[in-house]
Order: sequence, then C-alpha cells, then structure tokens
Amino acid sequence: MHTSERTTGHLAGQHGGDIAQPVLVAHDHKLKPSIFRDFAWRGQVILMLLPLLVGMTALIFVPALIGLPLAFTNYNSLDPPKFNGLQNFQDLWNDQVFHLAVRNTLGFIGVAVPLRLLGALAIAMLLHRAMRGIGAMRAAVVLPTVVPDIAWALAWLWIFNPLYGPLNVTLRAVGIEGPAWMLDETGARFAIILMLSWQFGEGFVVCLAALSDIPTAVLDQARIDGAGPWTQFRTITLPLVTPYLLVLAMRDVLFSLHANFVPAKILGQEGGPDYATTYLPMWIYTNGFGYLRLGYAAAMTWVTFLFTVVIVAATFLLVFRRRMDGWTA
Amino acid sequence: MGLLVSAAMVLPLVWMITTSLREPGSVPPRQLEWIPDPAVWSNYPAVFDALPVATMARNSVIIAAIAVPISVLCASWGGFALTQLMPRARRRIVAVTLVAAMIPVTATWVTRFVLFSEIGLIDTWWPLVLPALMGTSPLFALVYFWAFAAIPRDIIDAARLDGASAFRTWATIVFPMVRPTTVAVTMLTFTMHWNNFTDPLIYIQSLDRQTLPFALSALYQLAPTDWPLLMAAAVMLTGPAVVVFLLGQRAFIHNARGEGWLGN
Repeated sequence: MHTSERTTGHLAGQHGGDIAQPVLVAHDHKLKPSIFRDFAWRGQVILMLLPLLVGMTALIFVPALIGLPLAFTNYNSLDPPKFNGLQNFQDLWNDQVFHLAVRNTLGFIGVAVPLRLLGALAIAMLLHRAMRGIGAMRAAVVLPTVVPDIAWALAWLWIFNPLYGPLNVTLRAVGIEGPAWMLDETGARFAIILMLSWQFGEGFVVCLAALSDIPTAVLDQARIDGAGPWTQFRTITLPLVTPYLLVLAMRDVLFSLHANFVPAKILGQEGGPDYATTYLPMWIYTNGFGYLRLGYAAAMTWVTFLFTVVIVAATFLLVFRRRMDGWTA
Repeated sequence: MGLLVSAAMVLPLVWMITTSLREPGSVPPRQLEWIPDPAVWSNYPAVFDALPVATMARNSVIIAAIAVPISVLCASWGGFALTQLMPRARRRIVAVTLVAAMIPVTATWVTRFVLFSEIGLIDTWWPLVLPALMGTSPLFALVYFWAFAAIPRDIIDAARLDGASAFRTWATIVFPMVRPTTVAVTMLTFTMHWNNFTDPLIYIQSLDRQTLPFALSALYQLAPTDWPLLMAAAVMLTGPAVVVFLLGQRAFIHNARGEGWLGN
C-alpha cells in the first residue's frame, strides 16, 4: 500500500509521469494553508481513535493488569483487600476441584476445538458451490450461533432429558436406549461438547471465504489429471485452508475458555454432576461471584491468562509474523 | 446432502418451538411429535405472569438501542483512524487491538467486576453499555480497518485536500462505502448485546433493571420442569436475534471477494 507517500506530498507521489505537471500545480495551490489543516486532521484522527483506546484500556488491559496484584490478597469486595502473600496459590495447589477444572477444561478444548473446526470445514465444503437455495442453507448453518446462550442451553437441557427429551425419544424410536446425559459424568461432558458443536458459524463463514479463494482452475486441472476428490482435498484444498484453520483453532481455544460457562451453569446445574462440568470459568464464577473470594478467583484467573498468553504468542509467531505486513498495511 | 445438514442444524430450534406449543401441564410425549395435539399459544402470555418480564424485555431493547449505534460508531471511527496513522504507529495499535480482541472474557471477569464495584457502578447499566466504546469487541474496529484499507487512498486524500475534516470525510465518503461491513457489524453487535446473559447476571441485582436473558434463567429457577413455558420464553428471546440475523445475513455470509463484509 502507498504509505510512505502520505508523509511527503499527497497526490504528487501517486500521479507521477505524464500527468504530473497539471496535478502538481493544482496541488501546490491547495496545499498552502494545509499546515493547520494537517494539524487539525491529525487531531481529529486521534479523537476518532480515542473511544477504542480508552475502552480497551479501561475494560481489558487495566483489568488484566489488576489481576496480578489482586491474586495476592484476600478480598470480598466489601472490605478493602488484605495482602496475604502466596496463600491463594497455596490454596489453589490444594484445591482438588481446581485441578479437576483445569483437567476438564483441557479435555474440553482437546475434543471440542477439533470437532468444531472439522464441522465448519466439512459443511463449508459441502455448501460453498452455488446451487439452488444455497443462501437459505448457509443461513440455517449459521443460525444456531446467533441463538442466545441461555435459550440454547435451556433448549438442550430439554433435548437431553433422559426420559422425554426429543433426543432420547428419537433414539428409542430406532431401538437405541440413549444415555442419561446430564445425570452421568461422561454423558454430561459429552452433552456439553455436543451442544456447542452446533455453534460454529464464525468458523463456517471463515472457511467459506477461504474456499472461495482457491482458484477453480487449479481444481479443474487436477480433475483433468485424474485426481480423485480425496487427492484434490489432500493436495490442494487442505494446504490452502490450513493458515485459516490455524487462526480459527487459536480463536476457538480462547473461545473455549469461556463458552462453556453458561452450559455448565444451566445444564450442569453449576458444574455438576459431581463437578464433571466444572470448567475454569465455572469455578472462577463460583468462587468470585458466589463465595465472593475475589482474590482467590483472581489467582485462578492467572491460569486462564497463562493459556491466553501462550495462545496469543503462538498465533503471532505461527501465523501473523509472515502475514503481518499484509494485515496492517 | 446440504439440505439434510441444514435441517439437522435447525433441528434444536424446531424442537424448541414444538415444545413451546404443548398444552401446559400435559403429560410429556412418549414418541416424537412435530406438531403437538392440541397446539396452544397460551404458554406465551403465561411467560409474563410470574416475573416482570415485560420490563426486562424493555430494558434489553433500550440497552441494545444505546449500545449498538455507539459500537458501530466507535468501531468505524477507530478503523478509519487506523488507516490514517503513520505505518509504525498503525502496526503497533493494530497488534494491541488484536491482542485485546483475543483475550477471553474470563481473563478479565473478576477484576472488571472489582473495578466497576469500586467506582459504584454495580446494579447500573454502565457495565453493560460501556464495552460499546471499543465496538463491543475490538475485533470490529479491525474489521472496519480492513474494509477501509481497501478503499483507494486517492479518494480520501482528495477529500482531505479539499479541506474536509476527518469526521466529514468519514461521514460522507468512507463510511457509506462499506455498507456490507456496517450491516454485519450491526448484526453481530446487536446479537452480542441482546444475547448477553453473564454480564447482567454479575452486575445487575435489581429485578426491574434486569434484561431478558436473565428472565429466562429466573423462570427456570421458578419452574424447572415446565418445559412448554420455558421453551415459549426461549423462543421469545431467540426471535429478535434470529430476525436481525436473517435481515443482515446476506452481508455476513455472502462473502465472495469484493462483496463481503471485509470489503476486499
């Protein structure tokens, strides 16, 4: 992009060559009073940037930084925070539920993220060519993603009802006795992954865009050369969409760090049965907002933060370092 | 095949609606039913009986009406301002915004609550509306930035040389050129505010200041087995989100180069 020209002459740099003369005359004539205007323009640009910068600072960066000192205090939001050294971290070390929450979260990420990505890619491949009613079909795929969390969670709580829920009723109709879902530890974990596997609209849209970038000529040539669908996918499509999949995977891991909160609260009745769906957000919520152990919850947030830092750093290293210029120009 | 997949995707919503039409207190079905017999509407008005649901619905509408325009304004301002910065400053601020967009809610949950309670904004709408300053999610400022970056620089520079202010250039030239982006961002920020359940849960204590998603969880506490009633409430909460999505979905999904919401 033409970035350096901006600092010198506005139009001069871009209209070089044969038409330079008349343009430059008009340009000089107009440029004269522009020292003030330039100054004003810059001020206005900063003003336009201000809400974004203030918002991010006040709502994301300052809270993120306060979390560090708060983790060393005993704080219940009524009395001022009391410094208590490493007590919170010692408690974390001995908190069996916290250990379980970390394991649950890792397990959730390990299964849900690949499942959601594969779903998004597979369905995008199915729906990326023009055909009758394609718009409606794509809309139907994204639709579950815009359903409010709480409505989605309640609907699935009903769907997973072991006796009367539509899922087990359907299974029974084909002769299968469905699991007890939310009453059973494995069933509950699986149920929450299943219900969140419907909401991959963002990944679907990104995959559609990635697929539409693949030149059809390349695929046509491969077909002429006798490559089957699987070979085409493995040698052309997959390598070309992999950068997008990586970005999506990172985003999805971070998404997983809070997406399971509402399902765990509603379907798992605050993280049950027997803490099977107590993921990190659920346990942070229970301690911070339930027991008002805000210092302890802040210490726990460190772990979430650690995940985040690793993922953000990996994203920048893996994907953006090469493409950063293209993204910021 | 595509049809089958699409049908499977909306199946949970179909079940939600089916159940909402069942007679209250009727014996739960033993086999699958698509249209209950008899199908009744009485669950819908019944939602308003136990709780101040109408007030909560009104609150949700007001909050979205305040927060969505501010989000679009601030995100597009931020995106435009980024295109006007020097390359070095731009690269830094884009990277910072990207990091901000990636940090999950959970990582700032506790301390954001502490901050808001220290300045006495608990049980007000401020914690729900203030994220609009950063476009609700900083991601949207970047989306606008990418869309604006695709506009030929000459057009902006010409306006600037003609003496237009940055605000005027934004309002009359740049902003109208990225309509698909605006449609998509409006749709997504509306969804985020309308659907927001966790923030009201944490920040709002008075029932008459609560929002519609909270009404759903409160109803569930009151009548945990009245599925027709709960599903009627769920349909009422889902309806506006679905309508807004369907109105804006072309800009969002129709993502071929040159027409998509990323604008390039």
